[in-house]
Order: sequence, then C-alpha cells, then structure tokens
Amino acid sequence: MMGCRGADLFSEIDMLRSQLLHNVEVTADCQRVEEEISPQDVLTRIENIILGIVTSLSKDEAPVLALPNRSSWANVSFDSAIGLQMSSGSSVTTIRSDCALSVAKFAQILKILLVIYRLVQSNSYATKRDIYYNNTQLFGSQKTVDGIVDDISCMLKVPRRSLHVFATSKGLISGDLCYIEEDGTRIDCHSSSAAVAVSSNIDGIRNIVSCAKFVLIVEKDATFQRLLDDDFCTKLSPCIIITGKGVPDVNSRLMVRKLWDTLHIPIFALVDADPHGIEIMCIYKYGSVAMSFEAHSLTVPSVMWLGLLPSDLQRLRVPADALIPLTSTDENKLTSLLKRPYLTSQPDWQKEMELMQQTKVKAEIQSLAAIAPDYLTSIYLPNKLRYGGWV
Amino acid sequence: MLTEIQQVLRLVMILAKQRRRCGLKTAGGLLVLLWTDTGDSVQSLNCTVAAAGPWCRGIQMKALQPDLRDLEEIMLPCAWPCPPPDPEELFAFTDLYGSPKLLLSFQMNARLLRPEWCARLEAFLHTFSVHNAGINIQLRFSLNQQIVQRDFRVKTKSRVALANQPSLILDVTSSTVPPDWVETGRWCVGGHPVLGGRLPLSIPPEAMDQGLFGELSVQPVTLLSPCVLQYPNLLTQLTHIKVLVCSPSNVPVTGPSTFLQNLPAHLDCRELGLHGLRCSSFKDLVHSSGTVYTAEQENCEDSEQEWSPPRAQQRLLLFLFLQHNDPFTCQLSDIMATEVLIERHLEAILNNNRKAVTAALQTELRDTLKVQNHRKKDQEKLRSAAEVILSSSISIVSCSSNMDFRNACLNCMKARDTHELSAALRKSLWRVTSWKFIPKSKCYTTQMEEHPESDELTRAEI
Repeated sequence: MMGCRGADLFSEIDMLRSQLLHNVEVTADCQRVEEEISPQDVLTRIENIILGIVTSLSKDEAPVLALPNRSSWANVSFDSAIGLQMSSGSSVTTIRSDCALSVAKFAQILKILLVIYRLVQSNSYATKRDIYYNNTQLFGSQKTVDGIVDDISCMLKVPRRSLHVFATSKGLISGDLCYIEEDGTRIDCHSSSAAVAVSSNIDGIRNIVSCAKFVLIVEKDATFQRLLDDDFCTKLSPCIIITGKGVPDVNSRLMVRKLWDTLHIPIFALVDADPHGIEIMCIYKYGSVAMSFEAHSLTVPSVMWLGLLPSDLQRLRVPADALIPLTSTDENKLTSLLKRPYLTSQPDWQKEMELMQQTKVKAEIQSLAAIAPDYLTSIYLPNKLRYGGWV
Repeated sequence: MLTEIQQVLRLVMILAKQRRRCGLKTAGGLLVLLWTDTGDSVQSLNCTVAAAGPWCRGIQMKALQPDLRDLEEIMLPCAWPCPPPDPEELFAFTDLYGSPKLLLSFQMNARLLRPEWCARLEAFLHTFSVHNAGINIQLRFSLNQQIVQRDFRVKTKSRVALANQPSLILDVTSSTVPPDWVETGRWCVGGHPVLGGRLPLSIPPEAMDQGLFGELSVQPVTLLSPCVLQYPNLLTQLTHIKVLVCSPSNVPVTGPSTFLQNLPAHLDCRELGLHGLRCSSFKDLVHSSGTVYTAEQENCEDSEQEWSPPRAQQRLLLFLFLQHNDPFTCQLSDIMATEVLIERHLEAILNNNRKAVTAALQTELRDTLKVQNHRKKDQEKLRSAAEVILSSSISIVSCSSNMDFRNACLNCMKARDTHELSAALRKSLWRVTSWKFIPKSKCYTTQMEEHPESDELTRAEI
C-alpha cells in the first residue's frame, strides 16, 4: 500500500526527473572542472596585483585597483542554461590610493588580499567573521568585509572557495540526506524535529547519500519550521527541505546547486505569493547581479515554482481577509521582475505574475491556514506534488 | 606727507567711485611724484598726485575747483598749494595712461616729515594697490638729484562683486615660489578671495556727537595665499593672518588698532584648528598697513619620522571694507569729512560692536580655515591607509616564494632587499599622494596674468 501510494504520489515527480535528466548538459560538468583554480594560481594572481602597485609607484603614479562593477544590470547577460552571468568587458569601478574618499577601501582590499595570500599559502581557512574581528577598526563593519571578499573573488576571477575564506551560513536543511564534511564530521539530516545548519564549506562536502525524490526550497524560516513541526519530511518521504531564511546566502545557494549536481532530482520552490518571494526564487534559479561572476556554481536553472501561485489563491478560494493589497513598492518590483531577461523564457511564470498585477493582491503561505490549520502540509503540498501543480 | 597723500587719494577714489556706479572701468594709472625744492632757507617737499585712465573718466578739474578750495583745509592742513611739476616729469605717465583727469599739487616743509616717511609711503601705496588692483601706481622720487621710481603694477587680480556697491578689484598675486618638481603651468599664481557676511555696525554716541550718522557696516573678504586647490592632498599650515582695514573709499586705514591687536585673545583658536595666535610686533614698517598675527604651531610629530609629508605654508589676508551710506551726505566735502570721522573713531566703533565684530571675524576665519582642517583629516585618512597598503604589500613580497615576483618588485624600485623596498615604496607613495594634481579652471597658471572675471565668489564654492 505504501509502495503504491508512494508510486502514485511521486509519479509526476519521476516524470519530471526523467525530463530534466534528458535536458541536463554534460558540458556543465566540464565547465566546472575548467573553473578549478590551483592555490598557486591564486597566489600568482595576488602577486600580480602587488606587482602592479609597485610598478605604478616606480613610475611615480598613484596605484589604482579596478573592481568589476557587481551592482549594474548593464554588466550581466542571461543564458538560459546558466542564469545571470557577468559579461566580459564589464564596466569597472576604479579605487584610487591617492583619493581620501577611496583610500580606505584600497587599504581594506590590500589587507584582505594579504589574509587570503597567507591562508592559501598555508592551506588553512578562516571565516569572513574572523577577518572582520581581527581588525574591526580598519574594516568598520562585517558588511565591508563581506563585500570586499566578493569583490576580490570577482577581481581575481577566482571562485570564492579558492580564497579559503568561508562565509557564515544562515540556512537550514532537513530530510533524507547524509554527508561527510571536509573535517570528517558525519551529518545526518533525518531528524524530524531539528534541522541541520547548512555547512560553511560546501565544496568540502563528500559522500552525499540520499534517496530523496525532490528538494523543496522554502523561502521563510517560519514556513520551514512549520513543515518540520508537521513532520513533512516523513509524510512526503523521501525528500529534502532547505531554507535560506529569506534572501539566501551563498552557502545555501551552493548547497542547492550541490544537491542538483549530485542527485539530479527536481528542485521546487515554496515562496510567498508576492514579488519579494518571486525574486528570492529567481535568485536560486537564475542568480543575482552581485554574484553573477560565479553563476556557474550558484544557479540552478531547473528550479520549478511549486507554490504559492497567484492562481492558487483564486483556485483554492483563499478567504479575502487573508489576502493583502499590493503596495506601490510591490507593484514597482513586479514591473521590474517582468522586465528581467530571464522571464521571457518562462511564459507560465509571466502569466502568474501578470495575474498578480491584475488582481493587485498578494498572500503569504500562512494564508492557507485560513482554509484549514494543517492545509499546507496535509492537502496543499501533497496535492501539488501528486498532480504536477508546478510551473 | 602720508596723511596729505592719503587725503588726496581719498578724494580721487570718491570721485572715481561715483563714476563707477555708472559702470565705468576700474583700470588706469595713478602717479605720485615727489621732488624737493630749496628756496630761501626752507627745504620744501613738493608732491603731485595725478590720475588718468578709464577709472577717472568724466572728472573735470575746472568743475572741481570750487570743491577743492573748500576741501583744502581738510585735505592739506599742513601743506599749501604749489605749482604743478614740469610737464616733462609727467611724460612717462601720460604716455601710458593719457592726460591726467585730475592733477593736484601741494608743498610742505620737509622738516615736518616723520622719520622713514619714504618707506611708510611705499608701504601705504603698496597696500592701496592691493585694494585697488586695477590701478597701476607710479611713485617717483626726485630728491637731491637722485631719481627713484617704484611701479606698483599688479600681476594677478580678481574681481569681488558686492551688493549695491561697485565691485572690488583685489591684488591676489601669490609670491610663493613653487617647489622645483612642480611642472610649469601647475601652480596657481593667484588667490581666490571669498566674500564674507556683511556686518552692520552701530555708531557710538561720541562719533554721532561729531556728526557721524547713517548706516555703517563692515564687509569682510578673505584671501588664502598661496592657492593649493589644485593639490587636494597637500597639507597646509597657516603661518600668518594679516588684517587690512579699508575706508569706504577703498583707501587703506593706517595706524595701529588696539582692538585688532587684542583680537587674538578673544578668538577661539581651537575652533579655528590653530594652536594659538599672537599679534606680531609693530616695529616693522612694512607691515604698518595692517595688523599681523602669527599662528603658533604645534610640535610636529612628523619630524620624528624618516620622511614627513610636505606642507604648504599659507598666509591669510583678511580685508575689512568699511561701508557707509547716508542719503544726507552727498556733497564731496561732507563725504570726505565723514570718512575722516570714521577713521578717527574707528577704534570706538569697533569697541562699540566688540561682540558682533569678534563673532563675525571668528566665523570668517573658521569658514576660511575649514578647508585646511578638512585637509588635515583627509591627510590622516591617507596616512593611516598608506601604512596598511605598504605593510600588506611588503608582507606579500616578503613571504612569497616566487623569486621572479620578488626580483621584479625589487628591481622596479631599485632596492636591494625588502627593507629598502619598504622605504622606497613609502617615499614614492607619499610623494604621488601629496602632490596629486587636479586642475581647476578658476586657478591662475603662469601663462595667465588676469583671470576671467567671475562674480560667483560665494563661500559655497570653497
């Protein structure tokens, strides 16, 4: 019975998986291999920066650093197989050493370059937090360090993991998954009541073992906890659920990508039916402008939108008092999303977003509780998965 | 002699100012010619003041004669009229500026002259030239068969627009010689005067009793020299402040001012970013036209370092232009008399407005020196960042096992080891940072003698 029920429950998902496997390009793995940078390469690239500085000073010229501009849409292009990626020849921001406005950033970059140089040379690792707390006066804030580490990764054209600097993870993961971390720690995500923190060293994860049929990305921590409380991973076993607690950090995105690369199972997103939730889902699927230089390792273009769909609100007749009118910020964000280059290849997503524009309402996943307290995990999600209710 | 010449200049300036209200130019020439004449047993000193050029166009000597007779006693109390000089003496002047529109000659007993009157006269005319830079001044002495000529011709001038007043033309020439390594055309040879806030002054009762009425005010104008706007990272150090007071006719007010001499004691030097200010000795006649303060310097920590950043020493000129308006004073003699009253009671006027004047001058100096204080803060940012840049770079070179990289760095800076490399990089970074050059269109290069006139001299520009 269980077997029949299981087969019935996952038949659409299995069909989707077959479809996805058919579309997976083998070259993606080749690209990943090409991206591997040796520690010596990293040291050489840093030395080239220093030599550039010394050469400038030898000519009585003020040293400058050129940082690719990671915040401009003009510097990214869209590839349906990859997502948003940084264009070659992108515009740069010049950081001068002879200008009082930029010299502090110049010094911060040099300092972090030194830290990275030593880490790579000694094959040791540090977190971005460590770097900040070692010199709080120079850096001023953790955010400064976080931004500069990404700037250096982009400037040197080196993946973040090759810099030997870890970011603190904020994501959580649970479900049918076991793996071993680089330091040998065995991680078992099967616990039904407590989730496991996403690792800080995704690249070091080995021996991933899972029978999961799908991965469910959950936008909010509140929804994730609700799924844990309702024992979702047992009810819909075998599966994996993961959350980045809002806008995902790099490690959460790397983990989703790693699960895709290793398991090649459907990855669904469960987000609020609002522009912010849709944007978060797009980050997992297509990437962000700021991290576009590392799109190859961060994006999962096969992510499917499971819910909450704007069309679900009408179809399920979600009570009107659970619906929230769109604000002007929401409408502006929706308009901006519809103009993004990746939406043209997603006509079904466009339809859903246009429906939201027309109805001018949004809703959180929690609005389903207005239908019934356990509607989300007992009815909504199982039916969605059973009958292929994703776009 | 100085008083008499001052009075004659006052007359000329009042007449010229009346015409400038009609939009006439401020350019032209002024001749002060002095020669001795020995007659009987008394040695007389003759003086002729002549004005020619666009600035005094419209002045007619004949029409002025009645006024001049009335003014004789005010202008020349210890002198008497004398015949004009030999026209040949005026050729050099008239060749350049045309025939004089105004020519006044007077004579006085040479024995009444104060010691060092020559030097004092030169200093006065120099200060006059600073305030009225559009006028080229010739001073010729023909004494004891010796002819000495001094020309006061301004190289770099700047127009300062005033509300409801003819504009000022100030001498902003900078005499500072730039360092050797500054390229030609990259040093501003002038300054950029900044108009301050006009301060109304109340007239003390004793001045009113003497007949001084109307609206009196003071218009401050500040000028920092040399200009280093094109070198935003160059540290500056204020060495002197010179205060010059000018009457409503733009004639410098001579003589010491106790109020101004004591002013430093009432200024908040800390707010100005200065260690202290003290009034310089008044013995130096060259500085007699004006009150000079010396800025006290803090102990320089830089001298302990191997190499300290360069500093440009600057002087601040603070012009105080007195302005007076009284609709009932329109006769030339009344205007002259009012100016004399203002100068005579200047000390009482300043004391009567002590708080307001002190506060106004504090504000002007603070706003002018704000730039210097910003430079200090920026310099500190550059200095602390430079230490991190240098230490990080040297650390990477030192711990690198890549010999090609290490040798390339050492060879670039012609260093034998990382210690020498560190010193060479430090010196070079300081040099390129301190002497960073950003051209400014408003600055004066050595090719330009006069900057296109600009009326946008507001504090916001600085």
